[in-house]
Amino acid sequence: MQGLTYLVVAYVIVWVGLLAYLGVVMLRIRGVRTELAAVKELVREQQEKRS
Amino acid sequence: MIFFEQVIAILWKDIRYELRSKQMWAGMGLFALLVLVIFNFAFDLRVDNRAAVAPGALWVSFVFASMLGLGRTIAAEREKGSMDRLLLCPVDRKAIYLAKLLGNMLFIGVVEIVALPIFAALFNVPLLLGPLLPIVLLGTLGIAAVGTLFSAMAAATRARELLLPILVFPLIVPIVIAAVRATGTLMVPVSNEPPWLGLMVAFDVIFLSISMLTFQYIVEE
Amino acid sequence: MALARQDTNVKRRDASGPGQAERFPIVSMVLLALTFIGMMISIWMIFLYAPTDAIEGDAQRIFYFHLPSAIIGMLSLGIVALGGIVYLWKKDERWDWVARAAAELGTVFLTFALITGSIWGRTTWGTWWTWDARLTTTLILWFIYIGYLMLRSYMGRTPASARAGAVLAIIGLIDVPIIYESVNWWRTLHPQAVLPLGSSPQLPLEMLLTLVVAFITFTLLFSFLMVQLYQLEKMQTLAQQLRASVE
Repeated sequence: MQGLTYLVVAYVIVWVGLLAYLGVVMLRIRGVRTELAAVKELVREQQEKRS
Repeated sequence: MIFFEQVIAILWKDIRYELRSKQMWAGMGLFALLVLVIFNFAFDLRVDNRAAVAPGALWVSFVFASMLGLGRTIAAEREKGSMDRLLLCPVDRKAIYLAKLLGNMLFIGVVEIVALPIFAALFNVPLLLGPLLPIVLLGTLGIAAVGTLFSAMAAATRARELLLPILVFPLIVPIVIAAVRATGTLMVPVSNEPPWLGLMVAFDVIFLSISMLTFQYIVEE
Repeated sequence: MALARQDTNVKRRDASGPGQAERFPIVSMVLLALTFIGMMISIWMIFLYAPTDAIEGDAQRIFYFHLPSAIIGMLSLGIVALGGIVYLWKKDERWDWVARAAAELGTVFLTFALITGSIWGRTTWGTWWTWDARLTTTLILWFIYIGYLMLRSYMGRTPASARAGAVLAIIGLIDVPIIYESVNWWRTLHPQAVLPLGSSPQLPLEMLLTLVVAFITFTLLFSFLMVQLYQLEKMQTLAQQLRASVE
């Protein structure tokens, strides 16, 4: 019976860890996307100023 | 043999530079001794466990002292900007690496030579300088071969004192194991011991050649 | 003036490519769907289909997640080193993105392998950790990954950083078998409890099948995450380049 507890604990850790990691990756991608958009806007502005 | 002339020229420059800073030498030697003293307290050395603990204490102090000494030359050169000038010279990168390696080995070696007799006295173990010498030499070469390469890497970052051991310690595990076991076998002969010296020779040859080949990628700007 | 404008124009065209067009990348959608289906099938197989091990009991089922993540985490170092070698050879930034992504995923998968392995060891061997050659090598490989990631984050997104990472990965890849052998030799002198690791000559067909399905699922998961991280690296590099062109 004790083996079952460890089994459940192991899979819970893996699942929670995996989902947390997936969430972190998604957040990072979203963050970079917004940053990229902001920087592109900056580049465009500067270009307009120049011309 | 222009290659070896270059190696010796760079090495000689480093040695003259190091001779001017005597505190560093004294500091490294003192550090190695202090590690030995701390080990003495940590393990409460007695007659029965001395042979088991002493080799480990010796090599831990050597490894720590090497980490302090390694990369000092390259870091100093980078700070003063003389590394860039050295790279501008038509010098083979392999020659630079070899000179730095020999310089590091020399400095670590001097500290080890000083620390060994004191280690023998403090831990009350026979010195056995003859058979111990090849082990110390091969072990130091292995640590320095990997360490010189990575010190050039770590010198380019802000956190080089922290980064160097983090990068080097995992990679020199075979050398540490082999050196400790080989030293231990000298104190208490064990039959049927794996060929530790062979392992160290193989490690040294492999990583010396790879480091020589890859050093150019690290110092290139 | 005109020259400068042309220069930024070229950069803009470069920049507008990957950001927009791959908002909904078909490859990662397919991979995600396949991973999800694989996960569902492997969960069913692990908990319901595979028979309970006669000796180890239910805890043996941890193995179906442990083994694939350990193997993929280790093979990841090969990808990091391969990316590094090709980068040194061709000077193509994209291979460095591959290497960085693989290093991060290798760390994640090895972390899972170490945690699940430790829990499994607690039930089967009665200890959380033993200095067996395989475990020790895995731990040291994990340290190498961490060192790689730290080095890369300290050095930033420069060609020097990419070259240093490549060298570290090559040295690490060559060192891992030597570490394994040395720990193996070191431990043979200290006979510990004989470990049943790998001593499963006749795995029942159901168990083997479950293991294969779990392995495929983890490979799919790895590929999916790899695509995501690659895109992430790409966008980060692009953002940095654009920012540098503005300032």
